[in-house]
Amino acid sequence: MKRTQYLLKRLGWSVFTIAFVLVLNFFLFRVLPGDPARAGVHDPRLKQEAVEAIRVRFGLDKPVINCFESLNPVRFGSCDVNPLETQFFIYVRNLFKGDLGISYHTNRPVAEILAERLWNTILLIGLGQILSIFLGVALGIFAAWKARTAIDYGALLTSLLAWSLPTFWLGIILLFWGSAHGLPIAGKATPGTSSWPLMQQWGDVLRHMLMPTLTYTIVYLGEYTLIMRSSLLDVLAEDYILTAKAKGLNTFQILKDHALKNAMLPLVTVIAINLGFTVAGVLQIEAVFSWPGLGGAIYESVLRRDYPILQGAFLLIAVAVILANLIADLTYSYLDPRVQSE
Amino acid sequence: MKKFLFKAILLLAALSLILAACGGQSRQPATVRIGYAGSPDTLNPGVAVLSESYLMFELVYDTIYDLNLDGTFSLNLAESATPSEDGLVWTFKLRAAEFHDGTPLTAEDVVFSYGLYSAVEGYPWMGDYTAYFESVEAPSPDTVVITLSDAIPNLDSQLVFLYVLPKHIWEKQHPVEFDNVEMIGSGPFKMVEYKQNEFVHLVANKDHPLFAPKVDEVIFQTFESNDALVQALKTGQVDMITEMPATAVESLRGEANVEVVIGAPFVPTVTDVIFNQCAPENCPESDGICSGHPSLLDRNVRLALAHATDKVKINDVVLLGTGSLGTTLIPDGLGVWYNSSIVDYEYNVTLANQILDDAGYLDTDNNGIREMPDGTNPLIYRVNWPSDSVDGPRLAELLSEMWAEVGVKLELQAMDPDALTSVCCPAFDFDIILWGWGSDPDPNLLLSVMTTDEIPTGSSETGYSNPVYDALYLQQAVERDFDARKALVWQMQQIVFDDVVYIIPYYDPNIQAYRTDRFSGWITNMPKIELADPTSLTVIEPVNK
Repeated sequence: MKRTQYLLKRLGWSVFTIAFVLVLNFFLFRVLPGDPARAGVHDPRLKQEAVEAIRVRFGLDKPVINCFESLNPVRFGSCDVNPLETQFFIYVRNLFKGDLGISYHTNRPVAEILAERLWNTILLIGLGQILSIFLGVALGIFAAWKARTAIDYGALLTSLLAWSLPTFWLGIILLFWGSAHGLPIAGKATPGTSSWPLMQQWGDVLRHMLMPTLTYTIVYLGEYTLIMRSSLLDVLAEDYILTAKAKGLNTFQILKDHALKNAMLPLVTVIAINLGFTVAGVLQIEAVFSWPGLGGAIYESVLRRDYPILQGAFLLIAVAVILANLIADLTYSYLDPRVQSE
Repeated sequence: MKKFLFKAILLLAALSLILAACGGQSRQPATVRIGYAGSPDTLNPGVAVLSESYLMFELVYDTIYDLNLDGTFSLNLAESATPSEDGLVWTFKLRAAEFHDGTPLTAEDVVFSYGLYSAVEGYPWMGDYTAYFESVEAPSPDTVVITLSDAIPNLDSQLVFLYVLPKHIWEKQHPVEFDNVEMIGSGPFKMVEYKQNEFVHLVANKDHPLFAPKVDEVIFQTFESNDALVQALKTGQVDMITEMPATAVESLRGEANVEVVIGAPFVPTVTDVIFNQCAPENCPESDGICSGHPSLLDRNVRLALAHATDKVKINDVVLLGTGSLGTTLIPDGLGVWYNSSIVDYEYNVTLANQILDDAGYLDTDNNGIREMPDGTNPLIYRVNWPSDSVDGPRLAELLSEMWAEVGVKLELQAMDPDALTSVCCPAFDFDIILWGWGSDPDPNLLLSVMTTDEIPTGSSETGYSNPVYDALYLQQAVERDFDARKALVWQMQQIVFDDVVYIIPYYDPNIQAYRTDRFSGWITNMPKIELADPTSLTVIEPVNK
């Protein structure tokens, strides 16, 4: 019963947060200076009529919301416009219809672009996260187990180094190394291979993933190792571990049955946060390896005032972060039943 | 369960390593791989903005005229062009041509395309190229007759961007929303596959009557980092790169089998130092703020700053010597239109100081900064540049150092491009801006920027107003005699140079590089360098056949 209540409460908060982000999202971008119809184009040939046509096409000619004509510069407008004819309500209505709009810049549906980019990002961070979590946890356990030996210090030093490496620098170093060894260094697949058999295409994608995934893994591996190590060391110092030792359990049993579950808590938090945020794309890795992911799409859209893409992407990120947190909460309640009662 | 997952991951990692080792690719016939740092925004010619889109249009579509790398024009889709006596009616005889889907290209397609470009309101730029069209007709399948409202001297330069689209496809589509990913054209290359921000895959149209390519395929691949681009060329993952930072030139020149070429870009670009010289009487009524420093209205001050500007050093520091030194807004890449007779102001700090002293701008309070002749308003200028500019910060710092020598202080501040537009023009709420222009093949556009008429529209960035210049502008716009028009255009450049309307530190270079062991025949001996243009891509041949 308690568990269901806890679950419902968490879910409720998540829905509320998403609704809040939805509203914030809309106003946030409209407060930015700049005219999306001009999109930073400094060209006298862009005539006023053309700008007007673009405005009408994307609904930018309508008032932002009742009483406000535009937000930057703030221009007040008539308050008795039909609310259904304002940009805000059109935005909300379209969202409920699953329509994220058309990108100002590329003329394509936002949902289509985001889906494509999200998939690429998930491919990259999915594999990277799995690898870094497993390797990091394993290394962390090993280091904690062999605490204060050469192995531990070695692992500690390596992890610290890996964690503190600037991502783009590591990326570029690996890029030079990879290209010298014949590995592809840009994009998701070799262009012009769409006629290849499926297996071969996937092999090609995997080859392209090697370098960016390696970069990602190294960067996050250090973080996970360090957290796992220190958290496990804390647990291993507890009295109940001494009790377990006194009961004559071997190290493996102590780690598996008594220490690990408790030591996992901090790591779960970090993983959840990382997962949520990296959906925004690991921009630096994407930029170095020209990986067509979400981060790049967001970056380009900011430069071009492409509101529809930004709105869609931010919504996606918000949902991802909220979902990741929800999952973390739920995992917590499983790992540590005391959490439910709080 | 965990164990299983771990094994699965190990397996996956091993698999990818094996695949990496095999590198199982079959060699493809004569494929040119080109690395570039962008991707088309859209393949719809009516709404495209980015130069990458126009690159694809040039390769996949035909136009009546082509723009050559020396700035001249030559006929492509038309065999002949005959103007009427008064220059108002032009008759074009079309050559035989076929779209990539096998449908013949006729005069109807030309009429339809031009009609689209002039009529569709959602096309931001195309309307300008058709502004003088009164009517476009097709009296027979191979004849197009264009009637103009004014006898303009540069119809060829208007037609080079009016790509001929297949009527049978476009008439069924919404002209603005159509994404045109199939891109059926009649040009030397056919579209195979387009993945935005990844690649564009084209195959040769071996049946093109004029420019049948010798290679089989062309692939443009997007690289988001310049380092990767350069590295890809070094290791042979691409055969040519369309752009690279000046800092990579030296290292690439030392590379075996790599040739670096530098020239004016296909769309010549100019970097300018914009002085706000909008006089109070010209300040735009509704939008004008006109807060420029009063001293900039004085030619003496601008002249002194020109003498205090070491362009050679700027070019060496900012572009590592790859740019060409500038004089006026008309770049040298425009070929015949560029006034090459102008002798630039000598870099001479003593002379600059002398000019300011003589004009009464003295440092009365001995703080190293001069004041206006009446002793007020020290010569402290706000200098802004767009925050997305790579060269802006370096240029600003250099100017700050150089002009300090003549008692002028600069306050440097990068600005978001949109915010910069809003302070620039027609607001004139700035002192100095470091910005730039991309030029049309015809000088008309950039010449118009300095006319009085453009002050309220926001096209004029300086607020410069000179009735003599304005009159010459109108005169050259209708002068059909080439030599006479050229003389007018040169004269106008001399006027704005003498008035020091801008300081032009340099014209931006186009730096490209290709592998010499893959394809030969790249066109590199022209004033402009564009290896991805049809001029090169239709003539290059594989080195090892």
